[in-house]
Amino acid sequence: MKDTLWLIRKTFLSTFKKPMNLLLYFVFPVLGILLATLIHSGSGDTELRMGIVNQDGGRQITQGVIDAVGRMDSMLVSEIEENEVKDLIASGELDAAIILPAGFAQSLIDGNPSDLKIISIKGAQVTGQLKAYLEQHINNLASVGRVAQGNEVKFKTLYENYQKNGFELATEKIDDQSINHNKTNQTIGYLLILMLVSASSLSGILIKERENRTYYRLLSSPVNARTYVLSNVIVNLTMMMLQIAVTLWIMITIFHVDPGIPYWSMFFILVLFALVAISLSLAIVAFSSSSSAASGMQNLLLIPTSLLAGCMFPLALMPAAMQQIAHFLPQYWLLDTFSHLQQGVSMGELSLNLIILIVFAVALSLIAIYKFGRNNDTRSYI
Amino acid sequence: MNVLEVKQLTKKFGDFIAVDNITMSVKEGEIFGFLGANGAGKSTAINMIASLLRVTKGEIEVLGKNIAKHGKFAKMNIGIVPQEMAIYEDMTTYENVYFFAGLYGLRGAELKERVIEALAFVGLGDKHKSYPKNFSGGMKRRLNIACAIAHRPKLLIMDEPTVGIDPQSRNYILGSVKKLNEMGCTIIYTSHYMEEVEEICTRIAIIDHGKIIAEGTKGQLKAIITNQKNIGIEVRSAENLDRSKLAGIAGVNQVKVEDRIIKITSDSEINNLNRIIQQLMADDIEIRSVEEHEPSLETVFLTLTGRSLRD
Repeated sequence: MKDTLWLIRKTFLSTFKKPMNLLLYFVFPVLGILLATLIHSGSGDTELRMGIVNQDGGRQITQGVIDAVGRMDSMLVSEIEENEVKDLIASGELDAAIILPAGFAQSLIDGNPSDLKIISIKGAQVTGQLKAYLEQHINNLASVGRVAQGNEVKFKTLYENYQKNGFELATEKIDDQSINHNKTNQTIGYLLILMLVSASSLSGILIKERENRTYYRLLSSPVNARTYVLSNVIVNLTMMMLQIAVTLWIMITIFHVDPGIPYWSMFFILVLFALVAISLSLAIVAFSSSSSAASGMQNLLLIPTSLLAGCMFPLALMPAAMQQIAHFLPQYWLLDTFSHLQQGVSMGELSLNLIILIVFAVALSLIAIYKFGRNNDTRSYI
Repeated sequence: MNVLEVKQLTKKFGDFIAVDNITMSVKEGEIFGFLGANGAGKSTAINMIASLLRVTKGEIEVLGKNIAKHGKFAKMNIGIVPQEMAIYEDMTTYENVYFFAGLYGLRGAELKERVIEALAFVGLGDKHKSYPKNFSGGMKRRLNIACAIAHRPKLLIMDEPTVGIDPQSRNYILGSVKKLNEMGCTIIYTSHYMEEVEEICTRIAIIDHGKIIAEGTKGQLKAIITNQKNIGIEVRSAENLDRSKLAGIAGVNQVKVEDRIIKITSDSEINNLNRIIQQLMADDIEIRSVEEHEPSLETVFLTLTGRSLRD
C-alpha cells in the first residue's frame, strides 16, 4: 500500500506540473460547454419579422387580416411596398412577406377568397405556422361571405359579430427544456471525447516510462508491475472524477444549464464511463509497442467512434446504418442513458444501459490484462 | 559468504535459449566482471538476477535467500545501474533520487539524508535543483548511479555504466565504483571497455551464446587461454639480425621485426630471455629496452569466444 501511495503521489505531482494536462482535464471541458452554449444560443424564442404589402387599400376587412397576423405570438408586422420585398428579405431584415392583392376584401365578401402570396427564403420553418393560421382565418371570413351572399352590409354585421364572439384561446407558456437538454448532451458529448483523450494521456505514461527506461528501474525496486499499473489506474480515475465533477458543476452553476438529470446521477453514470475510458486506454497501451503507435491507435479509435456515437452532433442526423453501428460503442450507451433520463425514464429502467457500460469496462480490462500477461520480457506490466 | 549464487540458470524465449544452464557465484566484497558480446545472454542473466525476467529453469539466491520465494528481500538488497539512462528528465536531480529511493521504503529525514549522501557521492551535491535535461552525458550517468545507490544496496549491478562519456567522468565513475566497493558494496560490473574490467574487477566471468565459458581472476583467465608470452625488444638497428639463429633458440615460435622493434612469441614455460639477449649481442645489435607482455584480457576474450567484445 505504501508503494502504491508513493507512486500515486509521484504521478499526481508530475501531472499537475504540466500546464497542458490542466488544460486537457479542466479547461477544455469548459470550452466544450461554451461551444455547446454558443451552438444552441440561437435556438430560443425569436420574433418573426413579417412585411405586409397591402394592395387592397384601406379596406376594413383587409386591415382586420393584417391585425390578426399582428396578434400572432412572436410576430413583428410592418407594412411595406411591393418593390421593397425582395431587398428586405434578401438582406435578412425580414423573414417573410405577405402580399394581399387588390380586391382581396371583396373576394372574401363574395365568399371566394383570392390567393395571397407569402414570400420567404427560409421555407416552411418560417411560413408553416403563418400559413396554417391565415388559412383558417381566411376560410372563416369566406364562410361569413358565403352566408352574407355577397351583401356587403350583411357581411359587415356578421363580421363584427364574428369578431365580438371570437373564441378566447387561453394559453400557458411552458419552458422549452429542449435547448437545455441539447446543451447538456452536446457538453457531455465533448466531455466524453475529452475523457477518452485524458485517460489515454495518463495511461500513455506507462509507455513513456517503458521508453525512457524508468519502468525498468521501477521494477527493479520492490514495486511490482501490478502495483505500478494499479497506481496509474487510481490516478487516472481520480483525475477523471475531478474532471467530471468540475465540468458538471461549471455547466450547472456558471452556465446555468439545467440538464434535467440530478447532479449525482450524472456523476455516477459518467464515472462508469470513466472506467470504460481507462480500460480502453490500457488496452491501447497493451497493444502498442511505442508512444507513436499508441497515439496512432488513439487517433484511429477515439474520434471516429465518438463521431459515430453522436458525441459531436445528434445521432438522428446520421443514416440508419450508421445509427446501428453506434450500438456497438460505449459512448452511445451513455448518451442514450442521459437522453432517456431527460425524458423522465427512471434510473432503474435504464439498468440495461448501465450494465452494458460495465460490460464494456470489464471486457476491455480483460483484453488489456491478457495482452500484458503475454509479454514475456522485462517490459511486461503484469 | 556468497552475495549471489546462481545455479543452472536457464532462460528460453520460445525455442531460443538466451541463457543456458549457467552456474556462478559472487562473493561478498568482490567486483565481479561480467563479460560478453552483444546477444551473449549477459543482460538476460542480469535481468533474471534483478527479478525483471521470469526464470525458465534454475535458482538464484541473493544473500542466501531464493529470489523466487523472497523476491522483495532480494530487490531491497539489489541496486541496478542500467546501461541506458533511467531517470526522469522533467524532475530535478534531487526529486529523481528522492522518488527512486522512496520505492525502497525510505521516508522522512532518513530519505532526505540518503538522497543528499548519494548525490554528494556521485559529485552532484551542488546540483539538487538542476534538471537532467541540461546535463552532460557524464552527469546523467552519475545521476543514474545515484538513483541506484541511495538505498545502500548490498549488491550493485552496473551495466555498462561508462558508455559514451568523457574520460573525466569515466575516471570519476571508476573511482566511485572502487569507493563503493571499499564501503562494503559487492558489485557486478559489465563493460565493453576491457581496460576498465582489468582495472577494477577482482573476478571475471565470460559468457558466450548463453553459457559461461570461463570464470576466475584475471591471472586465471589468462592462464587458461595461453601458454605463450610476447617479448618486445627495441633495438638501435635490426640490420644485422640473423632471424634463423633467433628462431632456433629453444621455445621461440615466431620472430617479427617492426621498425626497430623485434617481436618474439615464445613458450611461456621456457625461460629463454637470456639466450635471446646473448644472440642479439652476438649479432652486434644494440639493445635499448626489453619488455615481456602478458596476453591482455581482450586477447583472452577473443581467443575464447572467437569474436571481439563489440561484435
